[in-house]
Amino acid sequence: MRFSDLLRVSIRQLVRHRRRYWGVMLAIALGTAGFITIITMGRDLKQNFNRDLELLGRATIVKIYFENRPTFQHQKFETATLEALRRMPGVRSASLTVNTHWSIINNKGIEYPFTLLGVDDAFWEVCGFSPQQGKVVSFENNNLRQRVAILGPGLAGTLFDRQDVVGSTLEIQRDLYTVTGVLKDVGLGDLRHFAFIPFTTAQDRIWPISQANRIYLRCLTWDDVDKVVPLIPQVIQASQYAPGLKVEVAWDQVKRVKSVAWWVELFIYSSIAATLVLGGVGIWVVMMAAVRSRTREIGLKKAMGAEDQAIMAQFLAEAVCLSFTASLAGSLMGLVIVEVTSWLIKSHPTQELFLFCVMIGLLVAVGLGVAAGLYPSLRASRMEVVSAIRYE
Amino acid sequence: MNSQYATLLDNGPLIQVNRLSKSYSNGHGVISILRGISLEINLGEMVAVMGPSGSGKSTFLFILGLLLPASSGDYYFLGQDVLNLSRADQADFRRRRVGFVFQNCDLFENSTVYENLEFPLIYAQIERQERPEHIVAALERVNLANRLHHPANLLSGGERQRVAVARALVNQPQVILADEPTGQLDRQNGIMVMDYFNRIVSGGETSMVIVTHDPQVAARCHRVFSLEDGLLHEN
Repeated sequence: MRFSDLLRVSIRQLVRHRRRYWGVMLAIALGTAGFITIITMGRDLKQNFNRDLELLGRATIVKIYFENRPTFQHQKFETATLEALRRMPGVRSASLTVNTHWSIINNKGIEYPFTLLGVDDAFWEVCGFSPQQGKVVSFENNNLRQRVAILGPGLAGTLFDRQDVVGSTLEIQRDLYTVTGVLKDVGLGDLRHFAFIPFTTAQDRIWPISQANRIYLRCLTWDDVDKVVPLIPQVIQASQYAPGLKVEVAWDQVKRVKSVAWWVELFIYSSIAATLVLGGVGIWVVMMAAVRSRTREIGLKKAMGAEDQAIMAQFLAEAVCLSFTASLAGSLMGLVIVEVTSWLIKSHPTQELFLFCVMIGLLVAVGLGVAAGLYPSLRASRMEVVSAIRYE
Repeated sequence: MNSQYATLLDNGPLIQVNRLSKSYSNGHGVISILRGISLEINLGEMVAVMGPSGSGKSTFLFILGLLLPASSGDYYFLGQDVLNLSRADQADFRRRRVGFVFQNCDLFENSTVYENLEFPLIYAQIERQERPEHIVAALERVNLANRLHHPANLLSGGERQRVAVARALVNQPQVILADEPTGQLDRQNGIMVMDYFNRIVSGGETSMVIVTHDPQVAARCHRVFSLEDGLLHEN
């Protein structure tokens, strides 16, 4: 039997008995669509998931600083170093800060100590902080060295009696600063009682202030932390002299987040595998039913001179066509889901990755069709002609 | 009659069966269905095999078509021993030499008349563009060329059996083996099918073995045999 005839007859058979195959095709299509979506969108979804998880723990934030020992000359990070770190693969952003401890007397005459942090505009993205009121320090604030301050919610509550503090003024070292924002009280920890001013303003106006000796760096996902951290000293030392360099990572949090993600991924992949296995079992069942209901047809074809291999090839081809067609439909569904998800989370997965997933999905479908259709096809091919012809 | 078949005839009978036996073991003992049957059928001959139910008529037909193995004996087709062919060669024999017509007008459902007739050609590896010619020629022999693309399940009983005959003819076999071909047809359609059978064998290029209960069918054959107690007698 020629391949073209085999294909034509199999497709015809599928089309004419399409009602019999709907359920199986749907299971395989859903499995394929799920596989394509998870693989294609996995990294982008992980980044989003990562961003949300930051609210629970700052697992992907790496703190880099110089240890100030009496034997070392105090070091500071150069701008070129910061840029080199930002260019590292797996790094989302990096921010340079300066800090000092300060105290302020409120309108009731009580003195409150707090930490004053000079930050650049990348700081907020790195740390995942956002304002509950007003806005955070912008590029423009830094560029124009403006006297603006953003307060942690703890400090804002301590200094002012009212809720709305945006527009209020704050005196720091005889300079008046306008409060432009108050941070949301989520994941701040000790920073609830910090005040944040533009990095450039802090360097110009605050004395004493530390060297720019602290960088906060955020990795794209928790999987990148392992890869990025060992390279940080090399990248920094390639840009500047760096004795006493320290890299601090919340390894416990990384481990825990990875563990959670591993279980979630396991669950998702298990669901996809279960769907595909279900599809495979479905193919097996419908092909067995087809062999049974077409027993006389098999007998007739053998009486016409069809060899065992031709009968086997026909049923196997039908099983493969079934799973392949279902997988094609699943690929289309996957394309739609990927497009919609990309639009929702504003990401741009690569076309190559999508096509790679489609190829894998189709190959898996062919394998599934062969595996599930093999036994029914063998059974059909080994059928005794006379018994088959006389089958009622 | 063309020269190819004239040469074949010169070489002896189309079918030669000597002391053919068939027995089954049913767990309690051996049951003999056929007990040393001998028969010769020439090209262009139409032979009827009659006998009561369970006498082994169909079994004999299936052995002639190599659908069942014989227990012992010889079977020569155009002088060639065909009982010891491999499974693949048996399939090839059925493709090229034999056409079957069964009682139940077994057509492939959800297929057209064309598609039903195409299968034997597919298995015989006939080129796709050559198939319509063969199919139309076979359908013309049973006056159904106008039903070429008609769905098989919408045909009447008589038409279905004529399509089954055309399907048996499409590969131009040397023998058609028919198992109760008119068993499910009314009298008028039965006569019509027999007319076609007579017309087919009259060309001298095809022989026919018909297993039947119907004396009227048997009466239209060149020779009639009775199968009783596993033995074949010519009437």
